[in-house]
Amino acid sequence: MPITHEGLAREFEFVSSPGERKHISEAIDGTAPIMQELAYELIVGNNTEVDRLTQEALADGFTANQLLDDGLLNGMAIVGVKFRDNLIFVPEVLVAARAMKAGMVHIEPILSASGAKPAGTIIMGTVKGDLHDIGKNLCIMMLRGAGFVVHDIGVDSSPDDFINAAVEHSAEVVGMSALLTTTMPNMGRTIAAFEEMGLRDEVRIMVGGAPVTQDFADEMGADAYGDNAVDAVDKAKELVLLLAELRSS
Amino acid sequence: MAEELASNNDSNVDYEKARASLDRLYNIYKDIASTADEVMQTRCPYKNAASRCTAKFGCRNQFFTTDPTSLPACAGSDQIDYREAWDQ
Repeated sequence: MPITHEGLAREFEFVSSPGERKHISEAIDGTAPIMQELAYELIVGNNTEVDRLTQEALADGFTANQLLDDGLLNGMAIVGVKFRDNLIFVPEVLVAARAMKAGMVHIEPILSASGAKPAGTIIMGTVKGDLHDIGKNLCIMMLRGAGFVVHDIGVDSSPDDFINAAVEHSAEVVGMSALLTTTMPNMGRTIAAFEEMGLRDEVRIMVGGAPVTQDFADEMGADAYGDNAVDAVDKAKELVLLLAELRSS
Repeated sequence: MAEELASNNDSNVDYEKARASLDRLYNIYKDIASTADEVMQTRCPYKNAASRCTAKFGCRNQFFTTDPTSLPACAGSDQIDYREAWDQ
């Protein structure tokens, strides 16, 4: 059966590599109309529709596996191709990632009930005075993709914002991002605030951002420095393990 | 609602298959992050496909039109370090 959803068929035409066309069309062909609609709405970043369609499909008896494989992943695969080929850019990717989250909100509890446990809980925000959030948002996308529960406290976050969120969500890791050299010292102030509150041993703190370096992270007393979004995931995994070991010893 | 749907569907989940799907998603995201690192060297990450600025902060390259509902156009050339234009 060909791709029956008109919008998805149009989006599929952006996939030009023969190998990718074969792979993606085989994954989409034969899927239910609602799965094709789900894939399409994810590509265009319509999180409201992804939320609605995911709930509707689950209520209609589609499994979490079908929603992932036949709907959400097919959509994100096309997003990845379009981004690589410069047909869309970072803002469109992040909007698609937000739509993915809208669907995963309904799928994660099902996976948890079947035995899948989150990789950990993380608070992410940019420090006080800093409004530049692209790096943080890419890290959040990656962390969620790696199975972390991420609470995004947004931009311009004060030390109290980080502390309150960490306590409220019993987070294992706090991730701070800064893009400006003028706001970088607020990372150190936030770490000091955790110390003053007696919470420094309860969480591990990682930092990142364009001007941030390993030396700066060490100087500020951070537990880890993420050089990029993929590295942030690796560091977060290490920190969760480290904290678990410390708690059990 | 999510919990209710979960209880209706958890017995139908093939956990190993789901694990493989999540690994595939992570790999798609990894490719995206790698592309983003490259693209951000030469193009402002806040500039969308329509060359409109999605930043929530000021930038010298923002060009506001008379339509208050539309995003500002990006007047940046991408030939220089675009970060210097962001308000500090």
